[in-house]
Amino acid sequence: MEAPQYIAARVQRALAEDDRTTELGIRVDVRGDQLYLRGQVNCAERCRLITEVAREAAPGLVIHNEIDVVDVREPVGEEKL
Amino acid sequence: MRELRIAAVGDVHLDESLRGSYRERLRDIQDRADVLLLAGDLTRHGTLEEAKVVADEFRDLPVPVVAVLGNHDHHSDRPAEIAALLRDAGIQVLHDDATVLDIDGVRLGVVGGKGFGGGYAGKCASDFGEREIKAFIGHTKRIADRWRVALKELQADRRVVLSHYSPVKDTLHGEPLEIYPFLGSYLLAEAADAEGADLIVHGHAHAGTEKGMTPGGIRVRNVALPVLGRAYGVYCL
Repeated sequence: MEAPQYIAARVQRALAEDDRTTELGIRVDVRGDQLYLRGQVNCAERCRLITEVAREAAPGLVIHNEIDVVDVREPVGEEKL
Repeated sequence: MRELRIAAVGDVHLDESLRGSYRERLRDIQDRADVLLLAGDLTRHGTLEEAKVVADEFRDLPVPVVAVLGNHDHHSDRPAEIAALLRDAGIQVLHDDATVLDIDGVRLGVVGGKGFGGGYAGKCASDFGEREIKAFIGHTKRIADRWRVALKELQADRRVVLSHYSPVKDTLHGEPLEIYPFLGSYLLAEAADAEGADLIVHGHAHAGTEKGMTPGGIRVRNVALPVLGRAYGVYCL
């Protein structure tokens, strides 16, 4: 059986290197047959593609996508330095 | 001399799917800021198509726009063409050099470029051993040296360093410790501390925190979009 650390590393590399995602900062954790994805991306479509790429890189695992989509809010206030 | 309001954001990672979304948030920027600084990772894959979206989102704003590229903007090996495309849209692009903007008679000097990694004082790569390691750290050293020269020669009333990679660890809090060497280098902070600056802004560390300081006391702000959660931060100098 493949060690979960290697599965997580493979998924993390796939998310960074696959042209559909190119997301470098996604955290991947594997617990048994469950795979968890955490981090932040700029739109919902990118969030969906991350699940797709992760599923291809780790077939057979149950994918939990817990990634947040950044909501670009209006700028507020200012900081005096 | 009047206060300058510096708007800054990085890591907007635009492509066709986000066309128009950013522009909408830049409405009335002239009421909030005097200049907009873009701290790299403007695209996702560094393609010219993505760069055109960036150019269209940030062109013809009522405030000057100064940008540096990030690692994503280098991914397709076309950084010079991306920079040219942005310049054609009226965006100034720094590549380890400087620009001085006259804002109501106050000269704002901006020095910077992409920056690079290597790690932080006492826990960093050294210019030693295999040529691949020397090439890695040598790249950062050359960049830091150019920033030092640019800052030394800068004639300005206020001085800002604009980078993609982080010069300090403070603003990386929240990132895994193991990847710090790929998020920035203390050599960038050392160059700024040697010649003096009023503010350093950077991006790259999406899971980091906004506020930090160099060992020499220069305020550092991580303006990566996921860190700010808003279209841009505004810092008054």
